[in-house]
Amino acid sequence: MMGRNYRFADLGLFIGGSFAALVLICGIFAPWIAPYHPNDQELLYILAPPVWAEGGTAEHLFGTDSLGRDTLSRLIYGARTAMTVAVAASFGAMLLGAFFAHLAGYFGGWVDWIISRTVEVWLSFPPVVLSMLLITGLGIGIDKVILAIVLVDWTRFCRVLRSEVQVVRGQDYVAFARLIGLSHPRVIMKEIFPATLPMLITLLSLQMGISVVVEAILSFVAMGVPSDVPAWGQMIADARIDMYYAPWGLAVPIFAIFLTVLSFNLLGDGLRRRLDPRQSAERGA
Amino acid sequence: MTERQVLRIRHLEIALRTGQRILNGVELGIQPGRILGVIGESGAGKSMIGSAIADTLPRGLGISGGAIEFDGLTLTDMTARTRRSLLGRDIGFIPQEPMSALNPSLTIGHQICHHLARIGLRTAKVRRDRAVELFAEVGLDRPQALLDNYPHQLSGGMLQRVLIAMAFASNPRLVIADEPTTALDVTIQKKVVELIARTREAHDTSVLFITHDLQLAAEICDDVSVLYAGRIVETGAARRIINAPRHPYSRCLNLATPNLKGRMARLMILPGTMPGPVERTGMKGCEFATRCPIAEGLCRTARPPLAEIAPGHWSACHWPERTGTVAVPKAADAAEGFVLGSAPVLRAKGLGKAYRQHDWLGRVREVQALRNLDFEIREGEFVGIVGESGSGKSSLTKMIVGLEDVTSGVLEVAGLDRATAPRAAFFDKVQLVFQDPQSALNPRRRIASLVTQALEGRAHALSKADQKALVTELLGKVMLPPDVAGRFPDQLSGGQKQRVNIARALCSNPRLLIADEIVSGLDVSVQAQILELLRALRREAGFSLLLVSHDLAVVRHVCDRTLVMCKGEIVEQGPVEEVFSNPLHPYTRELVAAAQGAGIDGGP
Amino acid sequence: MILAILRVIGRRLLAIVPVFAVVTVLIFGALRILPVDPAQMSLPPSATIEQVEAKREAMGLNRPIWEQYAIWAKGAVAGDLGESSQYRMSTVDVVLERLPATIELVVSALIFAVCVGMAGGLLIFTARGTVFESVGLVVTSAVMALPDFLLALLFILLFGVLIPIFPVNGRLDPGMQVPSHTGFLLIDAMLTGDFSIFISAVEHIALPVMALGLAFSPTIVRVLHASLINTYQQSYILQARLRGLNGREILFGQALKNAILPVVILVGTQFGGLFGGTLLVEMIFSFPGLGNLMVKAMQLADLSVIMAIALIYCATTLIFNSVADALAYLLNPRLRNG
Repeated sequence: MMGRNYRFADLGLFIGGSFAALVLICGIFAPWIAPYHPNDQELLYILAPPVWAEGGTAEHLFGTDSLGRDTLSRLIYGARTAMTVAVAASFGAMLLGAFFAHLAGYFGGWVDWIISRTVEVWLSFPPVVLSMLLITGLGIGIDKVILAIVLVDWTRFCRVLRSEVQVVRGQDYVAFARLIGLSHPRVIMKEIFPATLPMLITLLSLQMGISVVVEAILSFVAMGVPSDVPAWGQMIADARIDMYYAPWGLAVPIFAIFLTVLSFNLLGDGLRRRLDPRQSAERGA
Repeated sequence: MTERQVLRIRHLEIALRTGQRILNGVELGIQPGRILGVIGESGAGKSMIGSAIADTLPRGLGISGGAIEFDGLTLTDMTARTRRSLLGRDIGFIPQEPMSALNPSLTIGHQICHHLARIGLRTAKVRRDRAVELFAEVGLDRPQALLDNYPHQLSGGMLQRVLIAMAFASNPRLVIADEPTTALDVTIQKKVVELIARTREAHDTSVLFITHDLQLAAEICDDVSVLYAGRIVETGAARRIINAPRHPYSRCLNLATPNLKGRMARLMILPGTMPGPVERTGMKGCEFATRCPIAEGLCRTARPPLAEIAPGHWSACHWPERTGTVAVPKAADAAEGFVLGSAPVLRAKGLGKAYRQHDWLGRVREVQALRNLDFEIREGEFVGIVGESGSGKSSLTKMIVGLEDVTSGVLEVAGLDRATAPRAAFFDKVQLVFQDPQSALNPRRRIASLVTQALEGRAHALSKADQKALVTELLGKVMLPPDVAGRFPDQLSGGQKQRVNIARALCSNPRLLIADEIVSGLDVSVQAQILELLRALRREAGFSLLLVSHDLAVVRHVCDRTLVMCKGEIVEQGPVEEVFSNPLHPYTRELVAAAQGAGIDGGP
Repeated sequence: MILAILRVIGRRLLAIVPVFAVVTVLIFGALRILPVDPAQMSLPPSATIEQVEAKREAMGLNRPIWEQYAIWAKGAVAGDLGESSQYRMSTVDVVLERLPATIELVVSALIFAVCVGMAGGLLIFTARGTVFESVGLVVTSAVMALPDFLLALLFILLFGVLIPIFPVNGRLDPGMQVPSHTGFLLIDAMLTGDFSIFISAVEHIALPVMALGLAFSPTIVRVLHASLINTYQQSYILQARLRGLNGREILFGQALKNAILPVVILVGTQFGGLFGGTLLVEMIFSFPGLGNLMVKAMQLADLSVIMAIALIYCATTLIFNSVADALAYLLNPRLRNG
């Protein structure tokens, strides 16, 4: 029983990890992998179907969009946008959230009160809408998108990690560390942080998926990266106009997002099961 | 055993899927109306017996041999459904932890009435009346009101009474009590145990009483079976097994239990540990042979069967008659004399602790946890604190160690005022050995790093070689081999972890060591090791010890003087022998009476 | 008991007011950083510079920011939320017109999500130990990877383009008229007595509801599943088994009441996410609700509308949190300081 679950978790970890790595590689090496430049228009060959549908050619494996741009290349460059945003935003949110979570969980008292009330205020608002509002205020651009996500999603890290920190804080070995004279920062770094690290990594992986989605939403409503930068959300918005005629143009970026988010979720879940084994010690006689 | 038996277990084997045996051929039987105690330490397999009868063995474990007969019916042959119909009706259970044994979101009334409905009471009114009747029978006040209460509103003792009422409600033929008093205070324990005995008589039920506590078993059980490494090694009348056992293990258990009255003697320490499931499965000879003081060649090659050595007395030993020769080896060193220093290591005058609670409106409520404590600990003295939960013991230890602030009165440790001197000054003067070794040792660190952790707070670091030497020295002091240093905490047993805990506290060479309930929850044999360790350390290291425990016998064995605490105050203090043999304060008298029980005749 | 619940809700609502106020200040401030001139936006492009200046004065945009906030707040309390620069109408009117449609959508989606989520969680739990559990968890993970806007688009592809069984636009078939009594189309449609109108209303709301609801349900499935596993490890479940109760009695009679608590809390805290979803879902389905309005307002920087809708989101999220707290209080006797 345990064995089966374990194998499944490892399988998920492997598949998720591999595909996530694939997307990251596409993002990093986009200029070398993509067959065409993503903004090259071929106006004589618009809305072409992918190679497996009738009318498709091997020249454009995934077909072309309404301006004749190669879908596969746009997909690969879109991966670059998505991964840039995801990595930067996730790490930013993680750093900010983890910092406040450790402060709040470790010190308690009024520090915890202020931080928790702040998180509460933040969370009283739908996160996606908040990101959009921030963009309305900050303007368009990839750095603004990253900032918008960091400023909204740090609360997710903070909330979850705070309870983890509190659990570890209650352990006697932390009290002992204080009894031998370690200062607060040293106790946090040496005793608490190593214990919260597994959860942190899991959340980071899940946040990657969330960031990809938020970036897609923002570019879908033209409030994300500038229109000359390829992004999956924008591909969807463009393809939607001609969806009755060329449904594949819509389906392909949808699947790209779906598979990317799924792989990061699987990775995160697999990591959680790996790094935090439930010690079901044999309750002896 | 030719008379009718309510429960008969024949050669029961319970194994993991991998073949490792937890129970390796258990034989036991209970006659109608009798209480049988099953005594075993952790790892012996005693809770498996209850689970096997109820068909609630955890996943991965199964009955691989033998049979369980209940009043003539073979349980192991029945379908799950038939078996389930017996539960709650003919077989009742009293669980170990009453606080979590009832559904927290349903009222007590709902739960007991649901049970009564299951055993056949038809209307709601009949059920309520019967519930009130049962509650009164088990000594609960205001039974009517209790029906509408939720479990969290009752104390542990009250909840256990409710569970006893529910177990006996259907007049079952057998009730299985799995360590029913372990989670309770000593005075409550006594009451609950008496209740079980009374109720059993009223309903003429047989009881299977599973426990690790010899003394408790001696008090209420008619017969006792001793379980070791998955097998019953001795069975017989309770008095006889406990006072004149015919198996070396039973005798060793006896000799390892500190007693409250009678001679003070060193406790028996057994080398090694009980063989685990892996070792048990492969063993050819007696499982106890590796630790038995009178083991011979035959013991290691041939397993002794459980044989009747006298009417109603069975023992699984090749040489049962030699049991009497098992004794605690004489101490090689000199008498326990040591010189008490004159300067007090700890001085408390009018010490008090108040906790302030803020509610959300900003109002402040003060709870006085400790009041007006006056006591002293001199150099080299071992002092015990006895008290039940809520007495304030843990607040006191936390204040001494610096985890809590002093709110009133004076507390001086090693001459320094706790309230005014800087924290850093105390780090090598006083140390705490935590109660729960699980939470006290960082699971991510190796033992070597844990034991010398105290050095991390220092400015100058020791060289690698010096550190290694220190680790070996500290481990040696607590009688652990040096190879333990490379392991992680979860690879150690409970007793080993506790010893690492002690070693770690000794690292900073404190003048005062505080041990907070460090042996509660440990098996008798492991407890004996730790207690003798403390006594040995006292001879060498010359520190003072403040030992907090709810077990009076433990305090008597290790300490010179004792304080008795109740509800935040010291009600009595004095030399250990005096306080326990001649208690003056009514609370102390109650504690001593509860702890005494039937009494085991200590001594060779 | 009722009194106690009211007290809990009351206390929570009181706690909400300061949070609400803080949020309004923050959003107000965030919007005023815009490099956009609301006065210019609200006048026709042919307006002269003097007219724009006059408008700025009239809108109070030259005053310090806290004064602007005070003016706005005073108006808000009185029920006046300013004028929409897009529609040249009172903001309150614009918003109220669209509000019922979104409420209808969100409530239906919530009901859908809870039903599907609970059913899924229970099914996967009862299949524990078998291969179906793993299959169920994988499917749940897969659905979880599809946010509401992707689901909406997929549904359009599947049920609008490939197999057209559902309409993908608006709330009613073109040409159908429904007198507006409550503003809630489903109810109003029922009141007309005309079954075909009701069916049309249901058909139109089906895909948006499924997209929103299905996107929300995997979290419920997971939390319920984990919560049930956790509950079953508790001692009292074993004790119930030892008293002879069978599987179904234990699941529904003992476990569920305890296991459902984290789900209630989850729904309460994640409710805001449903509103976030309405933005895109309404936009994709051309559903005339608040979400649609909000997207356009953000694209065109119609500040008073943005502010008004933001407040509605904030208020409903906070209120819903309190309702969830009250439910938790009902379910968990230990919270009642007994």
